[in-house]
Amino acid sequence: MAISSSSNLAKEEQKLALKLLLPAFLILIIIALYPLGQVFYTSFTNREFASATETEFVGFDNYKALLSVTVRELPPVIDEDTGEQVVDEETGEAVFERPIRILPRDPHLYRPSFEFDFFGSRYVVGARTPDFIRSVWNTLVFTFFSVFFETLLGLIVALVVNSKFRGRGAMRAVMLVPWAVITVVSARMWEWMFEPTRAGLFNMLGDRFGLIDGSYSFLSSASLQLPAIIAVDVWKTTPFMALLILAGLQMIPNELYEAAEVDGASKLRQFFNITLPLLKPSLAVALIFRTLDALRVFDVFQVMLSQKRYSMASFNYFQLISARQMGMASAIGVIIFIIIFAFAILYMKSLGVDTE
Amino acid sequence: MTRDQKKVVKKILFYLVLALIVVYLLFPFYWAIASSLKSESQLSMTPATLIPRDPETGEISIFTRNYRAVFSNGGFVRGLINSTIVATSTTILALLTGSFAAFALGKLRFKGKEPALYIILAMTMFPQVTVLSGLYAVINALNLSARVSMIFTYLLFTLPFTTWVLTSFFRDLPREIMQSAQVDGATPFQTFHMILLPLTAPALVTTGLLSFIQAWNEYLFALTFTSIDVEARTVPVAIQFFSGEFARQEPFGEIMAAAVLVTVPIVVLVLIFQKRIVAGLTAGAVKG
Repeated sequence: MAISSSSNLAKEEQKLALKLLLPAFLILIIIALYPLGQVFYTSFTNREFASATETEFVGFDNYKALLSVTVRELPPVIDEDTGEQVVDEETGEAVFERPIRILPRDPHLYRPSFEFDFFGSRYVVGARTPDFIRSVWNTLVFTFFSVFFETLLGLIVALVVNSKFRGRGAMRAVMLVPWAVITVVSARMWEWMFEPTRAGLFNMLGDRFGLIDGSYSFLSSASLQLPAIIAVDVWKTTPFMALLILAGLQMIPNELYEAAEVDGASKLRQFFNITLPLLKPSLAVALIFRTLDALRVFDVFQVMLSQKRYSMASFNYFQLISARQMGMASAIGVIIFIIIFAFAILYMKSLGVDTE
Repeated sequence: MTRDQKKVVKKILFYLVLALIVVYLLFPFYWAIASSLKSESQLSMTPATLIPRDPETGEISIFTRNYRAVFSNGGFVRGLINSTIVATSTTILALLTGSFAAFALGKLRFKGKEPALYIILAMTMFPQVTVLSGLYAVINALNLSARVSMIFTYLLFTLPFTTWVLTSFFRDLPREIMQSAQVDGATPFQTFHMILLPLTAPALVTTGLLSFIQAWNEYLFALTFTSIDVEARTVPVAIQFFSGEFARQEPFGEIMAAAVLVTVPIVVLVLIFQKRIVAGLTAGAVKG
């Protein structure tokens, strides 16, 4: 009797679970199934956007074109008279063979994506779509740094706002302001602050404090583009992190802190022994959604750098709208999808969140 | 140092950090406000001024015509109404379906939980541009109006978000609460909406606010779906279509004025709901 009633209970629970999941899955089937399926399917074709050309099934061609990379060593250019490597007179740098002469041409042309030095030799990474390989790299760097700083700052903000002080109600509203500013506009606003004349905030400040001459072009300088974009994103999305962490902090029972206080544990110990471990599940979810958004970053790249430097999503946009390669764009979408999936599972496993 | 002195130093340090945070978060927004109060010629002044000043005399001079232009722009006011309708409906739908799903995923025992979680997350893993044409086809097939299309397609990102966050919160709630409710004769569904839901109020309000803002700010879907129905344009789209009454090129001052204006309702919204973010309900919910 007891056994059958408990298995009945389990059945009841299963039934209830299915009922509760039904609305979410209905929505998913109605609005998401077809578009997602279409992306997967299109990624195996050479379909063109807004064009009358016949679409053909091309198998993995799009993926091959996007992901084919090759690494070649660049031989040094040797001066015939001295037998030593030629050094550029202007820059003082050693001269290597031009990548274009080293990279394979048949059956597909590989163009240089980037070069790097390793143990005194120079290598070139060639790719059939070098812009895409660079965009993957840009996006990964962007994701790593922006998510790292957002989490750190978000945690600090959440802890500060969580303590008792006058005006913390207002502070909670202040905290969300950057997230509330419309993304497209916020990118324009920052672009204006980065203006390469003293009409821009940073040049005005830099000039006033004598750091730069007042006409520094932040968004054209290759070494400052990513840091500038990361700074914008960190400002914009720290509130997102902070609010999710703040909600996570609310779920930690006060009794635990009271008990720790009685035991004489310092605030720092309380943080590492109570707050951080109990925050893990909410932190994991916050990290997943931040990483997911960062990997798909589009607005800031599109508005501030357009075609100077791509993120995966802005390259995708370019492929679709300007180059009209819908098959190719879909393949990029699927690649982003796979990368995001890998990250999600990695977070869940490494932060020890139990899903079952 | 005496204990009191230590306390004072700690307090000063705390308020210093607080002040730093406020300046960091608000200064760019202040810059937007300052820019919105500048005329075209004030905007292009070098060096830029922290407070709007007259280019000739250097006196403080506030330019309010940007705001008047924004308000007299029918598209902007209509956009505010559209955005409110769309963002509110999406958020309510996402919270409703999301909290149901999250209760099942976080607290009930059934097979296939992990796949279900990842399938829901998969909805939002594609870049928006890629799914756009597929979504457009679905909307045409279902013959949905522009506003309804936005409400439903925004669920693509709000639903996985609410479901995942709420799941992690439900999972955290002790099972004893459910069991003691069952002992008292409550059905699982009663336990859910009468006991567990109020306990997760901070999470509900947090996810609600974040989803609302995300829907409020969405641009690409809105631009696409309202392309044939201008009346349904939301604020971000309306702002992009500002042609400018006085400006030669892009009406930057007006765009900033509009951006400041649409941020205000959200700040008010947060002020209304902020108390619920920090609901000390869990304290004392389970004794022992």
